[in-house]
Amino acid sequence: MLRLRTFLVGLMVVFVGTFAFAAGEQEVEEVDLQIGIAPREVGDTFPEKIAEFEEQNPQVNVDWLEVPGVPGEQKSLYVTNLVGASDEPDIMALDVIWPGEFIANNWTIPLNDYFTDEELADFNPALLDAATVNGEVHAIPYYQNAIHFFYRRDLLDDYGLDVPTTWAELEEKADIILEGEDDPDMVGYSSMWAEIEGLFMNYLQFLWGAGGQIVDDAGNIVIDTPEGEQALEQMVGMLERGTAPDSLLTYDPNDAQTVFRQGRTPFLVVQGFVWDLLTADDSPVADVVEMGSVPVFDGVDPETTPRHATGAWMFAINPHSEHPDEAAELIRYLTTEENQVRLAIETGNLPPRVGMEDHEELLAEKPIAEQQFKNFNLGNVRPSMEAGEDYSELSSIMQRYIHGALLGEMEVDEALQSAQEEADALLGQ
Amino acid sequence: MRAITVRYTGNQLLQYGVAILLAVIFFFPVVWMFLTSLKPAGEIYAWPPHFFPQAPTIINYFRVFTQSLLGRYILNSMIVSSFSAVAVIVLASMAAYGIARIGFRGSSLVLVVFIGLAMFPQLAIVPSIFTWFRDLGLINTYVGIVIAYVGLFTPIALWILTVYFRTIPSDLEESARIDGCGMLRMISHIILPVSIPGVVTAALIVIIQTWNEFFLALVILSRNHLRTATVGIALYPGEYAFPWDLITTATFMAILPIFFLTLVFQRRIIGGLTAGAIR
Amino acid sequence: MTQSKRRRLHAMLLVVPALAIVLAVLLFPTINTARISLTDFSLTDTGPFEFVGLENYRRALGIGEFHSAIRTTIVFTVVGVLFQGLFGLMLAMFLNKAMKMRGLLRATILFPWALPTALNAIIWRWMYSADFGVFNFLLLRFGLIDSRINWLGTPDMAMASMIFVAVWKTSSFMALIILTGLQTVPGDLYEAARIDGASKWQQFKRITFPLITPAFILALLLRSMDAFRAFELPFALTDGGPARATQTMALYGYRQLFDFLNFDVGSTVAVTQFVMLLALGLLYIWLLRRRERTL
Repeated sequence: MLRLRTFLVGLMVVFVGTFAFAAGEQEVEEVDLQIGIAPREVGDTFPEKIAEFEEQNPQVNVDWLEVPGVPGEQKSLYVTNLVGASDEPDIMALDVIWPGEFIANNWTIPLNDYFTDEELADFNPALLDAATVNGEVHAIPYYQNAIHFFYRRDLLDDYGLDVPTTWAELEEKADIILEGEDDPDMVGYSSMWAEIEGLFMNYLQFLWGAGGQIVDDAGNIVIDTPEGEQALEQMVGMLERGTAPDSLLTYDPNDAQTVFRQGRTPFLVVQGFVWDLLTADDSPVADVVEMGSVPVFDGVDPETTPRHATGAWMFAINPHSEHPDEAAELIRYLTTEENQVRLAIETGNLPPRVGMEDHEELLAEKPIAEQQFKNFNLGNVRPSMEAGEDYSELSSIMQRYIHGALLGEMEVDEALQSAQEEADALLGQ
Repeated sequence: MRAITVRYTGNQLLQYGVAILLAVIFFFPVVWMFLTSLKPAGEIYAWPPHFFPQAPTIINYFRVFTQSLLGRYILNSMIVSSFSAVAVIVLASMAAYGIARIGFRGSSLVLVVFIGLAMFPQLAIVPSIFTWFRDLGLINTYVGIVIAYVGLFTPIALWILTVYFRTIPSDLEESARIDGCGMLRMISHIILPVSIPGVVTAALIVIIQTWNEFFLALVILSRNHLRTATVGIALYPGEYAFPWDLITTATFMAILPIFFLTLVFQRRIIGGLTAGAIR
Repeated sequence: MTQSKRRRLHAMLLVVPALAIVLAVLLFPTINTARISLTDFSLTDTGPFEFVGLENYRRALGIGEFHSAIRTTIVFTVVGVLFQGLFGLMLAMFLNKAMKMRGLLRATILFPWALPTALNAIIWRWMYSADFGVFNFLLLRFGLIDSRINWLGTPDMAMASMIFVAVWKTSSFMALIILTGLQTVPGDLYEAARIDGASKWQQFKRITFPLITPAFILALLLRSMDAFRAFELPFALTDGGPARATQTMALYGYRQLFDFLNFDVGSTVAVTQFVMLLALGLLYIWLLRRRERTL
């Protein structure tokens, strides 16, 4: 008898529970959000973070759209959807050089209604500027990175040399080391000089290190300048004088770091992501690699001249999204200080926030962050806001003429003049 | 007598030599890729490099399926290729029957039109296809890419089938027609069964072509999960790197099906490719 | 309606579905692209778009990069197809001779044809790598070179390297087509020539070549059309570099369309490529016709 009663009660509980659950379902409207970001940018724990957010916001289901890791392809995926007025994905991870183009095409919405000025003030202002038009912020930084300078402590010590702070010093010291090592496989300097965005970043970092600028006071793009010439001459000279190998012109960042990792060069200029690779257990240079600031030209102060080309990934909201409020909540959650510090510890991608230089937990886990923050503070952003929707084409023009000069296809002044002419025609300035 | 034998063998030896040399030249890239895929990432970038893997491992083959979408890419390719092939064969065999077995005023002109259209460059159609497919919601759908492929590869199948159908003796149809057999029934029940070799050839060539197609797949399928194998792997290189361990492994996996198809059906495929080269 | 008339009508109806989709995917888009190239069309606007005449063509032809893309395409096509023809011919002659191993050989030479061009390009990119590639490794190991060759690093070298890949990949297709022509050459012709005391070269020049010319021209036509459209090879092998030296018209058009969203200029590039391709096709057809007339 008892068993039957238990059974009936149990049955009722199940029924009532089901109804209650169903009623509850109807009351709270389910929201489906889609966030687009490439897997390699966010580490293995991104699904965890999404799950945590879903736990805190039970009415929201988050779908992770794993976009291609190639920035160009990622962009064309977004653009394909945006020009088709699709609401996929609700949240887009943008390279810091894209917001200019996206804002110009109305592919993002202003986020000032969702984020208070106090909240925004916590983020690196230079990065926010790269996504701000008319005082309206369109994207929230998720993490930042930059080009850094890496060197071999052991080689410098062997030859009694200091860390070079100017390009002339770097070449001089590279020569001494190459001569001493007498290894035909060694090269003086490694970086990414293939015809890629990284080449433009590299050039800018020479230009800025010469005290030059690519944007003048009126906001125009200026390429054919004395400092521009000095920068490009230096790059051409490094190839001519043999400091850099000819094959440098085919190197992407991975090639560049591989040569360093193989122990074949004392100096490397490349993005910060290589630090974990260079210091990994199986890296032959793990114990002897150090990070410093990118050299400058003679007569320019290395302690104050911003020259490290910075990058970042930022979150923006698709204007066709039906759930901008929830999307903003997810962005807020992912970009809290706590979560950005976690991301930094997991992936080495640092928080794009002010005042992180003395974050104890972060520095304890990632001591190298100290040098990275120092370089960020000596950093500069690419002219993506000034060029707006034409940035990718401007960068393409620059890559073509810089590469042309490096290959000896044309003279330096000729290359800069032609680049200036094409840029003027493109931008209508 | 003896001298002749020796010269004959010498000649044959030379032929064998050349044949082996050709095989080495043509297969070397794939062999090298296979060797690379057996090396752990550390060894791929070791200095100095090794020709043969020091410690062969199949770890890359696990990683490529767990750490990338290769499985999904290959599935996508299979779906797209098989649906395209079926649709192409249906349309092309109908048209080929009309042209080769019945004929009408201007039917040879129609054939020329098909062949001429097949020469149209993809770049010329892409701006319009992209704009239209966007408006129709066909971007990032299997349906969209299959429609495009059917349009692209029907002409070659039509050509192969037309040539094949012309070789079928006509008394087969005569008797069927007397029995009151309709035209579609005639195709599916009389013509296709005796044309299996031609149909298989056409289908194989369409499968290989769709598996290998790049431009339209790149433009129409921009979502990572929908990419076909060819495009998906070609876009492995990330922002910073060419992960050669994964790329070589994935490439090897993606060409394996094609490799076996050509190996098993080489005679058929060659027959199809060269059909009509001699008129 | 008579029985046969009705049959003919049905035959036409059978062709309609295939023709419809082929027209919809190939002809109409091409016409529409030509229309786009005459307007200020933009993907990011909704229109209406203005007719601007040949303005886009004037603009495109003023861009140095476009000129260089045209030049690259022509060099790649002419030089590439020349070598493909040469090796294809040699390969075909050898195949025709080497009866014994035909099975093995056929599989061998068919394989490059069946390989996806994009993935093939990736493999070669890996082998060409100046620092990590197998070519430099082997050449250095066997002492054939002293310093690494920068296969894809300078404009001329990269073009040569790209053409080499194309020759490797497509000579075999060429050979297969030529082989069908070779097999139609009756053996007794050679017998007669030999009796007349003609040398091998004379035999080739007087008998073989004239007879295989139609197949040869057809093979050249198919290959030239393909080479002129080359897209995924530069896309995956060199990305068009260095300094855009290997950027073909197809790749340049793709960049204008999808990297910069310039659909007006991109369509202009596409139409230009199409017109040049058409001229190329007509040239070959004229050659074939003239050949037939003189025979």
